[in-house]
Amino acid sequence: MPETAITTVSDAELRWQLMIRRIIHLLLPIVVMVPFLCEIDMPGKPSPLVKQIYYDLEALEPGSVVLFSLDFDPGSQAELAPMTVAALRQCFKNDLHPIVMTHWFSGLGLHKRLLEETAEEFAPDKKSGRDYVLLGFRPGGQSVILSMGDSITGAFDKDYYGKITEGMDALKDVDSLRDIDYALVLSAGGTIDGMWIPYGSDRYGFPIGAGCTAVMAPDLYPFEQSKQITGIIGGLRGAADYEVLVGAPDDATSAMAAQSFAHLYIIGLVIVANIEEFVRKRSKKRE
Amino acid sequence: MWYKRYLPLVLVFLIGLLGFLTQYIPHWGSEEVVSYMARSLLIIVAFAMFIGAYSLLHMHLTRIRRQQAGWAYSLLVFVGATVMIAAGLYNEGTGPMPPLAPRGINTWLYDHVQVPCSATMFSILAFFIASAAYRTFRAKNLNALLLLIAAVIVMFGQVTISERFVNWGLYVANLFPPLHDFIVDGLGVTDTIFRKLAHFVMAAPNMAAKRGIMLGIALGAISQSLRILFGIERSYMGGGD
Repeated sequence: MPETAITTVSDAELRWQLMIRRIIHLLLPIVVMVPFLCEIDMPGKPSPLVKQIYYDLEALEPGSVVLFSLDFDPGSQAELAPMTVAALRQCFKNDLHPIVMTHWFSGLGLHKRLLEETAEEFAPDKKSGRDYVLLGFRPGGQSVILSMGDSITGAFDKDYYGKITEGMDALKDVDSLRDIDYALVLSAGGTIDGMWIPYGSDRYGFPIGAGCTAVMAPDLYPFEQSKQITGIIGGLRGAADYEVLVGAPDDATSAMAAQSFAHLYIIGLVIVANIEEFVRKRSKKRE
Repeated sequence: MWYKRYLPLVLVFLIGLLGFLTQYIPHWGSEEVVSYMARSLLIIVAFAMFIGAYSLLHMHLTRIRRQQAGWAYSLLVFVGATVMIAAGLYNEGTGPMPPLAPRGINTWLYDHVQVPCSATMFSILAFFIASAAYRTFRAKNLNALLLLIAAVIVMFGQVTISERFVNWGLYVANLFPPLHDFIVDGLGVTDTIFRKLAHFVMAAPNMAAKRGIMLGIALGAISQSLRILFGIERSYMGGGD
């Protein structure tokens, strides 16, 4: 079978395909870079799914505790870091207490930087331990969540900086996950539907908002319909929507034009490919 | 040795049954059992990380010894692991026990090597997607055509330029007021029409398919769990059956 496949594609055709691929690869960075170089702004209207999470956080009383599970690493920071920063800004603005943790060890340094930079830039008066907590990482996945359901300070006896969590001001009204007012899980894989919903919110009864990469968003729609998550911030577009809602357009909003051009480029490629297919079929018929 | 054969089966059955029952018994004793099991699991997982690291390094060491194709990359694994572990243990002179120093070689390596390398690996996907879209999204039959249409709707609806396109279209249509009124009032077209269409594709056909797949997976997981609990599936013990 493979021999037959090889013989049906001529050398000339292989060379042609290779050249086309190179042209496609060469044009892509140009298409993405042009909007950045020309500083084209293209903000959009936020979607209802993103708005829902924003309004959930807006509805919380000052002093409420919001758990951030940042389950991503630098590979997906382009999509997930902007939504993290936007949500943290909203928390600091509304005097909410973010508690930040992760199931992805490889992203811990990034999460620390995002939290510290956002706190320093938008809320210099906020202090670690008093207004926010960086719990860090514990191995174990769902067993960490179950353990937090028993006691958060039991699961994380020390925060990222090595300070004892028991008695911290930000955690004074929080014993377990039952006392969490809202959880925002920003994930690049599996932890929303595989861990936080079955072992967290379904068991201990706290609302969850989900942020994810664009390719993950289709997987989460069933959970939004069943109200197991309150909303979805999907990919870079979701992050841009959130920035618009928070009133602080930043990295995601400025990348909207580049994403638009890249999508148009791919749609253009699909159209060209189908024209080529049509012409090829027609010429074969004639032969 | 009967205990080698039957003791694991009995343990799996009992622990599995316990885990199953605690899900359905809302009692403080049941909660205690769950939290005890969760704490025990944390300890086991911590040991599993060492086993994972050993397994990874052992695999790459074997590759280097046998000089398999690409063995130089395996050497890089050792170099990377050694440098990062050494930097972590050194921890700017404070040793491995205190928290990681906020600035230093470990943080520098993370920020300037791991972050850009990891981001670059993910970015390469864009090139694959572009060339794959060109090669595969071809309307060769009805199913392929439907997939293609759905993909184009979602791709276009997801980006903000779709709103600009509709606004430009409505601006042009406004040159002929009856046409504009028909589009806006009659058809109900707004600038977010493609966003709504994309949402419909995600929330209706996509969700129906996802639910089917999820139910199938759940049923499969239940049947597999029952097979393990009742000792029918024994591959976790090693050996064929």
